[in-house]
Amino acid sequence: MSFSNRKWLGLPCALLLLALGSMAQAEPYLAAQMGLKCGQCHVNPTGGGMRTVYGNTFAQTALAAKRIGAEEDLWTGQVMKFLSVGGNARANYTYVDVPHQDATNEFETEEARAYLDFGVIPGRLSVYLDQRFAPGNATNMEANVRYWVKENALYVKAGRMYLPFGYRLEDDGAFVRQLSGINMQAPDEGVELGVEHGNWTGQVALSNGAGGGGELDHGKQITTRLEFVQSRWRAGASLLFNDAEAGSRSGAGLFGAFNAGPFTLLGEIDYIDDDSIGADGTKLMATLAEADWKLRQGHNLKLTYEWLEPNRDLDEDEQTRTSLLYEWSPIQFVQIRAGVRIYDGIPQNDNQNRRQAFLQLHGFF
Amino acid sequence: MDAGNTNLLARKGIFLLAALVLAGCTAGNGEGLDENGGAIPIVPPVDSDFQQIQDTIFTPICTNCHVGANAPQGLRLDAANSYALLVNVASNEVPGTLRVSPGNPDASYIVQKLQGNNAVGARMPFGGPYLSQTQIDLVRGWIAAGATPPPASVSNQLTVASTIPAGKESAAPGTANLTVIFSADLDASLVNTATFGLRDGFDEPVALVGTKVPDGRPNVVELTLARPLPPGSYQLDVRGAGPAALADNAGHVLDGDADGVAGGDYLMSFDVKPGAQR
Repeated sequence: MSFSNRKWLGLPCALLLLALGSMAQAEPYLAAQMGLKCGQCHVNPTGGGMRTVYGNTFAQTALAAKRIGAEEDLWTGQVMKFLSVGGNARANYTYVDVPHQDATNEFETEEARAYLDFGVIPGRLSVYLDQRFAPGNATNMEANVRYWVKENALYVKAGRMYLPFGYRLEDDGAFVRQLSGINMQAPDEGVELGVEHGNWTGQVALSNGAGGGGELDHGKQITTRLEFVQSRWRAGASLLFNDAEAGSRSGAGLFGAFNAGPFTLLGEIDYIDDDSIGADGTKLMATLAEADWKLRQGHNLKLTYEWLEPNRDLDEDEQTRTSLLYEWSPIQFVQIRAGVRIYDGIPQNDNQNRRQAFLQLHGFF
Repeated sequence: MDAGNTNLLARKGIFLLAALVLAGCTAGNGEGLDENGGAIPIVPPVDSDFQQIQDTIFTPICTNCHVGANAPQGLRLDAANSYALLVNVASNEVPGTLRVSPGNPDASYIVQKLQGNNAVGARMPFGGPYLSQTQIDLVRGWIAAGATPPPASVSNQLTVASTIPAGKESAAPGTANLTVIFSADLDASLVNTATFGLRDGFDEPVALVGTKVPDGRPNVVELTLARPLPPGSYQLDVRGAGPAALADNAGHVLDGDADGVAGGDYLMSFDVKPGAQR
């Protein structure tokens, strides 16, 4: 693998000048840093999407380097008693250098989403919508009804939803999220039962297993996630089984996190056995190790190292992905992220050895 | 066990986990593997043709999304368009990579997208279930054998097989390019701005500034307009009669009116509507 040093060093200087940055939506390191469950800041108990009143308040008072505006103008997301709104928009400038190809760079709208939560029976029954408006055509990502059978303890959710498996990362390109196929680009239709009890949070979902598309067979997917949350550490496990006609798919994952002052470590290991790949099925594995360093309020330095084993029966086919990101929240609801990602794979595949740098403006509420 | 011991154990556990994750988890050296990271095949290539792929993969699976004016990345995989929009066409996501590079399945973006080793975006079909290895091998085999066209495009008659936008379709505001796909390879020397005519709803001509037969796609003409089309109705005229009539490499003049006899213009109407999406 070889890269033109001049090309690499010649990344837009603005990238370095603007290399400052802080938090995002669906960033489990924040929950680990604060010793909270995902559902503390998100209306979805498994994290991601619309923020709760606590999550919005936290974003304004604890995450941003500085809060501007009048004291009394504290955004809670609740525009009226029974309706909360939220959203995310990410605009990127991305530079990609694939060996033996001309480097490319482009501006792109990574995503623009809006959330609506109709809390028709406050604390008990709500109808939730997550609509992606860009890129491309408007697409519904989540549409479900959630009923807390026992307030803050037991709920049932039905409709279109993200399935519970491992950490719900903002980075859908992470190997662990690609491997499981469960990320914030691939909702599914089904029903989920969730339990919140003391330090425990657990979910089990039964879904079509068709990645949000129409059901193609009679088989269903079952996905479970169980996590024990302490103030300084947490650990959990996930399981999935998809009884698909094209070949069953089963998987398991372990994940955990530890916080020590400004440092937070996250780890996840996932294993998938997919009978639909190859004549005899394929066993795959991926890991994620993430370290976050809160330099000061509003500033976070993130280092991740990922490893992918696309076929356990083959040697020397592993891939890695190393990322260094700086995240800066100068004011509430604004985040600037700058980072580089280095992909390392087999030398005969150029795409597995690309370099990527990006600068992102992220607005959320 | 008190809380202090629990936390200590947890710390050790997490650090052990991190160490295990990092230890030995490096990239492979690719020895004994093909470009895709698979074992170098010891089986002969799958004997497949485009029609088989169209009938068993593109039409029943891919056209759930990849069809019509809203096809993702502009890639229509219905029978009328798929071949012309795949073979020797640069991918939108990685413009340096062809969607189908004849003779080279590993360098073909469609194969990378189907196998999940693509540089950008999600593996296809989006959200799964993904194609079986047998289905992927069909695509690989066809590309390895040279990505030959479907039999329907080998004809002794020249007709318009498809257009983008299609007839009676609504194109996005700002559309500045039209594509015409023919049933056979064109005599490129006959292709020029006089061969095509575009008129708006007031029967006023709309200027074409360029016509191009793309490299490796001799049955396709890309038309470049002088400016993006505003909302309204339009009619495209492909000449099959008169001195500007199109013909294929074998000298067959365009049967534009589809009466089975060479000659006659091909006429197609479409709209550009405010808010319409491609």
